[in-house]
Parts: sequence; structure tokens; C-alpha cells
Amino acid sequence: MTRAARNPGPSWGFQFLRGCDRVLPEFIFRPLRWCGTWIAVLNMPGQRANSRAYLRAALGREPKHRDVVRHFFAFTEFLMLRLRVANGQPHRGDLAPDAEGFHRLLATGEPALLGTFHLGHSDLTGFLLGPQEHRRVFMVRQRVGNSHDTEILGKKFGAWVTFIWVNEAGNLLFALKEAVNSGGSVALKCDRLEFSAKTEVFDFLGARRVFPFTIYHLALIFRRPVVLSVGLPAAPGHSTVHSSPMFVPDAGSKAENLLRAKAHFQAFLSRIEGFLREDPSLWFNFTPLNPPAP
Amino acid sequence: MPDSLKRDLKELIVNTLKLEGVAAADLADDEPLIGSGLNLDSIDALELVVTLEKQYGIKISSSEESRQALGSISHLAEFIRARADPARLPA
Repeated sequence: MTRAARNPGPSWGFQFLRGCDRVLPEFIFRPLRWCGTWIAVLNMPGQRANSRAYLRAALGREPKHRDVVRHFFAFTEFLMLRLRVANGQPHRGDLAPDAEGFHRLLATGEPALLGTFHLGHSDLTGFLLGPQEHRRVFMVRQRVGNSHDTEILGKKFGAWVTFIWVNEAGNLLFALKEAVNSGGSVALKCDRLEFSAKTEVFDFLGARRVFPFTIYHLALIFRRPVVLSVGLPAAPGHSTVHSSPMFVPDAGSKAENLLRAKAHFQAFLSRIEGFLREDPSLWFNFTPLNPPAP
Repeated sequence: MPDSLKRDLKELIVNTLKLEGVAAADLADDEPLIGSGLNLDSIDALELVVTLEKQYGIKISSSEESRQALGSISHLAEFIRARADPARLPA
């Protein structure tokens, strides 16, 4: 099976970080992580260039070297958090008061399609949702060069989370079909174009950019609501989950539903852009930025 | 004698996928449904599969099986005849 290259980090990195975390006190380990981040920045010209291109769009100016390093470090720290949560460190996802869609979803108990992004603590949301809210979640993941962190998180939260590993679009869709038919909620990323058969163009970071739109087609096919969410860092041991209102594919024709879906996605994307303008290092985007519309 | 299942399938495809500018009669029996002039992608194939499952009470559970079934209208008709409850098929 082909395994795609991953965001910054060598394949042995997770085991190394876990080992250090066990034996080193934080006041020594944290400066070491900064050093490791610098090494990553210097040794990963591709990711560095992609980071710089994204930060240029988010900051509206040429990023300084320290902006790029901070971006890499934010990702390192999130990986550390994932590893620590997988090792048993307590962590809670608290719904923001404006997480209307999520509140509604939890109130009704119905399964949904959960769209999320490579942003902040979003990757943890599905893991936290299961045990906290007693929800079975299927997470769509691309198997990459090193999925160790995801695999150990999967083991810890295995009672609530099932992965749908994908490296081929056709199989993904049938795995999704099985997951939806089994009554679980399905979480999939909505910011990268891999494996996305359907795309649409949205306003994002100063340009009309292409984003995956498959989740809404799946919503129409399976008659399931869509809630988009992101988890942002909050107080230590906590993430705040922000969500869109619930999109319900029930009104009118397919074309009308897709039109509403576009507005739904654009509204949430604009909120995300607001978060990123405040703190660009939140989006772990070390791959080429979503391309502008042709 | 015209095959009523094939005719129904063509109508179902055009109506389900809202194919613009394509009439049921335009679909040839032996042309591939995916990767042909219809420009159907994997999501369209999934939508078709879900609709066919509901309509004919059949189960298509893998991309391999769907590729087989959606080979052409003729393949699809054959696939459905072999699996569907005869009561659901047109007379």
C-alpha cells in the first residue's frame, strides 16, 4: 500500500517523543522540542515553503522566519498533546455556547456526518466525543508514513472510535456506506482535496479556493445531517469545540439543497478564517494551500 | 422485444443523477456507465448504488462489485435480475 508523506516529522518521531516524555522533566523536554522544531524547519524545505505560503495568505504579509518556526512548533505541541492524551492524560472537549449544531446533535442523538479540519485540537474532538457523550464515531483517516499517534489513540478510545483507513477513493465510499448504515456518526476532514470526488469553490484567505464538498453529497445520499466543527486550545486540559449550525438535507430539490450546503460551508469557513487571522499557527497546513479556482 | 428493466434503469439513472441534457433513450445498453461520456464520478456511483439497493432490494457492498454492476446497462440489468426479488422487477 502506498503511504503518503505526512506533515513535519520523521517516521520514528512519535516513539522518540513518547520516550522523552516519560523520562525527561518538562523544563528540559520543552526546550528540546523547540530544538527539534528548528531541525524540522531546516530539514523540511517542502513543508517550510508550504507553511510560508499559507502564512503569507493568513497574515497578509511576508511571514518572518519566527512565524514559520512558531507554526511548526504549534504542530509539535499538538502532536505531544495527542500522545499524552493517548497515554492517559485527562482532556475534555467543552462545547462553546455558539456550537449550535453540536448541541442540537447531542440533544437529538441522531447520527450525523461530522466535518472537521486540520486545525487546533480538532483531531481530538472525535476521540473526546465518544467517551464524553457516549457516541460511536467512525473516523476517516488516510494511512500515512507514520500513523502511530492515531493508532495508539485508536486503541485507547477503541470502544467509541473506529477508523476507516483509506488510500483509495472507491473503497472509502463503500466503507462510509457501511458506517452510515450501521448507525454511527462519521467524521471526515473537509480541508484537503485528497480523495474528494466533489469539490466547490469558496472564499478563503483572500481568494476563491477549491475545497472538498463530498460531505454534503453524502448527506444528500444518506439523508444525514452535517455539522462542521473545530476544536481550539482552551485552558490546560481542555479544548473548546466550535461548530456550525446543523445542515439538514431536507428542503426541496438536490440543487436547492446543494445551494444551501454551499452557504453552510462558506459561513463556517469564514468563522475559521477569523480564528486563523487571530492565530495563523492553528491550521496545521504544511501541504500546498488549497488552490485558487481556475 | 424491448427490455423493460433496462428501460427502467436508464430512467432511474437519469432521474437520480439529474443528468443535464441526457435522456434515458440516449443511454446505450453496452456503454460503460462510469468513465464514459456521462462523466460520472465515484460519488455518483455511490448515489446510484444506494438508489438501486432501495429500489430493487439488492446489496452492493464493495467498489469491486459496484464496478462490475455498473459496467453497462446490460451488466446492471443482469446483476439485478440475478439478485433482486422477482416481485420487484418489471413484468
